[in-house]
Amino acid sequence: MKFIKRTDFIIIAVILLASIVSIGVYTLVTKDSPVYAEIYLESELMMTIDLSEGIDRHFSLEERPAVIFHQTVDGTIRFEESDCPDKVCINAGALSIPGQFAACLPNGVILKIVSKDVDADSPDMVIGN
Amino acid sequence: MNGNGSADINITSKRTRTLVLTGLLFAVAIVVALLEGMLPPIPVPVPGVKVGLSNIVVMYTVFFLGAKQAYGISVLKALFVLITRGAIAGALSLAGGVLSITVMLIVIGFSKNKASYAMTSISGAISHNIGQFIVISLIYTGTNMWFYLPLLVIAGVVTGLLTAGILKVILPAVNKLVK
Repeated sequence: MKFIKRTDFIIIAVILLASIVSIGVYTLVTKDSPVYAEIYLESELMMTIDLSEGIDRHFSLEERPAVIFHQTVDGTIRFEESDCPDKVCINAGALSIPGQFAACLPNGVILKIVSKDVDADSPDMVIGN
Repeated sequence: MNGNGSADINITSKRTRTLVLTGLLFAVAIVVALLEGMLPPIPVPVPGVKVGLSNIVVMYTVFFLGAKQAYGISVLKALFVLITRGAIAGALSLAGGVLSITVMLIVIGFSKNKASYAMTSISGAISHNIGQFIVISLIYTGTNMWFYLPLLVIAGVVTGLLTAGILKVILPAVNKLVK
């Protein structure tokens, strides 16, 4: 059994190219849609934030004061601080594209970017229940 | 090997060897996974990406011991993760492990053993990532995974090459120990 064959390079190149192209296409397609961030605690939707608000603020859930979110003017949101051991949530970086998400599993907090049309019936921010 | 040439004893001894080796490999897989958990996380913008060093052990098992042993190690490792890190992590480990072994076996079978280490490893790593992602999207229903799919594929290519490279380097030493 060989370590690597010449045809492998072609297969790898095709796989990489297809992935990069699909990221590009996805980013273009979702570019102009309204973007919201949803914050879940133990699978329950706690907050919906309109990322186009253009404000810069730090906040956290009442139930998880150690987990601090940072929303920026240019429409991104990230886990800024957390008391979890692995910091996977912070490493996920700033999110702004629909479909991106970051999770802090030790705290049961999930941050999700969604794209949806504004629903007149629902308030644009729900805190607690 | 055992000097008396009896077929019965030979078979028993071979089975014992396989059993012992599988147990050892399982232990190594757990230790490697624990050690990897102590390393600082890779700063990439995809949640939970790891090199998956214990895949080296699983790959070795697939190549040199057999499918049954590989699945066994994978399931036991998922149980270990379940006990130490909780249900979600356990489910992720199981889905990733089982799918990756299955895909590697398919690649080896379809290519009639002609697939390279690198290609087998890459297909295993990609399917490992996809298996985990299927579980994540099942747990958090409605999670849109299309943004991450290409990133996970790229990550699989990189980590697959890396683990295949490491296996290649340590293989002579391992073979010396095992023979």
